Amino acid sequence: MHTVVLTKGVPDFREGQVAFDEDGHLERGKTPTVMNPNDQFALQAALQTRIRHGGRVSVMSMGPPGYKDVLREAMESVYADDLYICSDREMAAADTWATAITLTTGIEKLAESEGSMPDLIFAGFKTADGETGHTGPQTCWGLDVPVVTHVIALDVDEEAGRLRAKRLVEGDIEEIETVETDLPAFVVTDPEFEPTYRKAEHRLLYKDLREETQARAENFEEHLTEWDQEALNLDPDYIGLDGSPTIVSSVDPIPKAPAEREATVVDAGDPEGMEQVVEELRPFGTETAEAGGD
Amino acid sequence: MPEIDPTEYDISELGPALQDIEDVDELEAILDAEKAGEDRVGAKTLIESRIEKFTEEDDEDLDPDELDLASMSTADVGNAVRDIDEIDELEALLERERDGEGRDSVERLIENRIDSVQGSEEEDGDGEVETQAPEEKHPNLDHPTADKRHVRAVENGDYRDMWVYCETQAGELIDVSREMLGKARELMDTYNDEYGADERVIAVLIGDDVADLTEESIAYGADLAVYYEDDRLDRFYHKPYTEVFCDMARGAGHPYGREGRPEADWRDYDEPRYTVFPATNNGRDLSAMVQAELDSGLASDCSDLYIENAMISNPAKTGEPGSNKEFERVLHMKRPDFSGFEYSTILCIDKPDREFHPQGASVIPGSFEVPDPDSEREGEVVEHEMPLSEEWLRVEVTDYDRLEGGVDLSGHDVIVALGRGIGDDPTRGIELGLDLVDAFEDADLGLSRGVITASYEFDGHVEQYVAEERQIGESGQVVEPAVYVAAGISGAVQHKVGMDESDTIVAVNSDPDADIRDFSDYFVEGDLFEVLPRLTEAVETGELDLGAVADGGRPAGGASESGTDGGSDAATDGGVSDE
Repeated sequence: MHTVVLTKGVPDFREGQVAFDEDGHLERGKTPTVMNPNDQFALQAALQTRIRHGGRVSVMSMGPPGYKDVLREAMESVYADDLYICSDREMAAADTWATAITLTTGIEKLAESEGSMPDLIFAGFKTADGETGHTGPQTCWGLDVPVVTHVIALDVDEEAGRLRAKRLVEGDIEEIETVETDLPAFVVTDPEFEPTYRKAEHRLLYKDLREETQARAENFEEHLTEWDQEALNLDPDYIGLDGSPTIVSSVDPIPKAPAEREATVVDAGDPEGMEQVVEELRPFGTETAEAGGD
Repeated sequence: MPEIDPTEYDISELGPALQDIEDVDELEAILDAEKAGEDRVGAKTLIESRIEKFTEEDDEDLDPDELDLASMSTADVGNAVRDIDEIDELEALLERERDGEGRDSVERLIENRIDSVQGSEEEDGDGEVETQAPEEKHPNLDHPTADKRHVRAVENGDYRDMWVYCETQAGELIDVSREMLGKARELMDTYNDEYGADERVIAVLIGDDVADLTEESIAYGADLAVYYEDDRLDRFYHKPYTEVFCDMARGAGHPYGREGRPEADWRDYDEPRYTVFPATNNGRDLSAMVQAELDSGLASDCSDLYIENAMISNPAKTGEPGSNKEFERVLHMKRPDFSGFEYSTILCIDKPDREFHPQGASVIPGSFEVPDPDSEREGEVVEHEMPLSEEWLRVEVTDYDRLEGGVDLSGHDVIVALGRGIGDDPTRGIELGLDLVDAFEDADLGLSRGVITASYEFDGHVEQYVAEERQIGESGQVVEPAVYVAAGISGAVQHKVGMDESDTIVAVNSDPDADIRDFSDYFVEGDLFEVLPRLTEAVETGELDLGAVADGGRPAGGASESGTDGGSDAATDGGVSDE
């Protein structure tokens, strides 16, 4: 079983990490890069597959050389056997179309060197920066393999070459679908994805792998392959900014909401002020409601 | 006879061969020779671009001093300054605009032109873009890229109409489908006025039982509803839905269209001008795959759309660094981005040698109003027919269940909402929020988008509460409780949308300048880790205990741990809560 996980580096959006310039724009250069949080679920799905069925996990990303650290992070969280980065100045500022064609080509190149398509390709839902949710489906479209998205649980039947997954459907009705398809397939995990390890041996293996992988990640560069535009044999007209149908025409700080209420400012240590606040809350308290007031 | 015979050259060799020819008449003669000979589109483009280049330089007798800036539109100025190469003249022009109309856009245009002239002087006048065959530009590649599945553009395409994918569930249009139809109607009405056009809103319906919904789609704003029915499409399947949509979208004679496909009499264009999809799990996937197959781009999860002309300086789109080009009828797609830190406006724009149409968008459900249906509205209904390939049906839905309930935050007396202020100890933050929730008869826990997108690590027992289904705001739920407690929420506009109809809003925040202050009734300045337990206790016991802090009314910053584990002991001493 060979699986490939796609991942991306994104600005660390946690409180205190994000830097803004004077105009209120995000300063990417000053904001640390971390692995896209949603990709963790794709990695978990790959790890589950590996623990249950054995085989190999490859992790692939497109981005600047700095994303190597993201691959190290990925390696640490899933016992990745090899890492691939598609990196070239020509690939910069790609939108989802231009990213998808690059990743498609990366996976094709990997498949070529392996002699066969990976059995499963995993991607996370939405990156924290672009937030499109398009790259997975578009990469899959390029590869022309069956796709299952918004996956929250996964079972692979290796012998039958099939997978069964549960996926989330939204709309006016929220539903869980059970879906089956053939391998090779492309799976986009939902942030609600939960790996399951029902057998004791799997749980033990999981623990062992977690430990082993730490040591491996320290020397991650030994397992890293870097492909530039030439190695991928991609015409620069079709990748990066040049290959992107869309451009960002403007980025505006989220406008401040107009003031609509006159807030009474209360210091948390001021009893009178706090009493006023509590007055507002008290009528809805359990005690009050049960006793019909004090 | 011209200097060179173009028909003797491969396209890749023609570029270099023309390199030294600058005489327009000579180039014209070469062009004629090509037309009379092989008449290759690529070769003609090459020669024409060369002609254009030198023709432009020839009629450069335009006098910048004569330009009447005030009477010119931004676009006019953009075109005029492209012919001016003298920095002094450009600066004089800039000066005049500043003194006169003072339009930012015009000033920016002139400044850009100055930059580009300066830039090209530095590069020894080498700022020209040559149209080169890919073989020549990248001799080390063997160029399979243009043959890839994704690359399926139309050349000189004719694009019309706005297509709206109407998602259905259980035999009904879902709300966002109605919202999109209403918005599309509004956009195309304005568009038709603005551009003197007569383009339509097309509703697209795909499924096993959708014919009945065509009339409704028209009532909500469509001019025409095109539908495709097949029993095998009882659920959404990525591949066949994409294939069907694209088959509908491609006009007769489309280079990538289905073979032997009959001509449709209701449309006479190559592809839609615009496509709009719902940003639901399935709608968003479909939008991405359809636009990839149609070799175009899209913006996802938009909260606003409008159509207007756009002045673009991005060289990837203009084909010429430092120049500006006006693109007409551009769909502007506005979306919250970067985890809600910024709004981006995305445009899907043609390149000089590649057309990116349709311009696609998916929209966040709830962004637009559901219009009042007009059952009198007239429109056309078209059934689309095509064979479904078994190959497309390799994914099978074997079962489906309605998700019971989910979390519905509406209808409660009180909502306790938490934001990134819990970042110091996220698990504890959720616990404290839940404690306060429990103190009320009818309350529930909400979260700001920031908490959902942050990669906080939560302990298992609170993890279940940290889910998108508890998100309040533009892309989450909208609530109107009697009391809304916003703890550690800074107050982005998108959050406000989800809660500003609440009767009373109590904000707890350690930052006195937090934006939420502008839409709160009470703004408790303090650390939520200290304030929430006190509120919980006060609601549970009826008594407010500020512990040692209250004494001197000092800021909460130096507060003790008071209250965090109080609760049952109502008669805490200190008497601080007495007035």
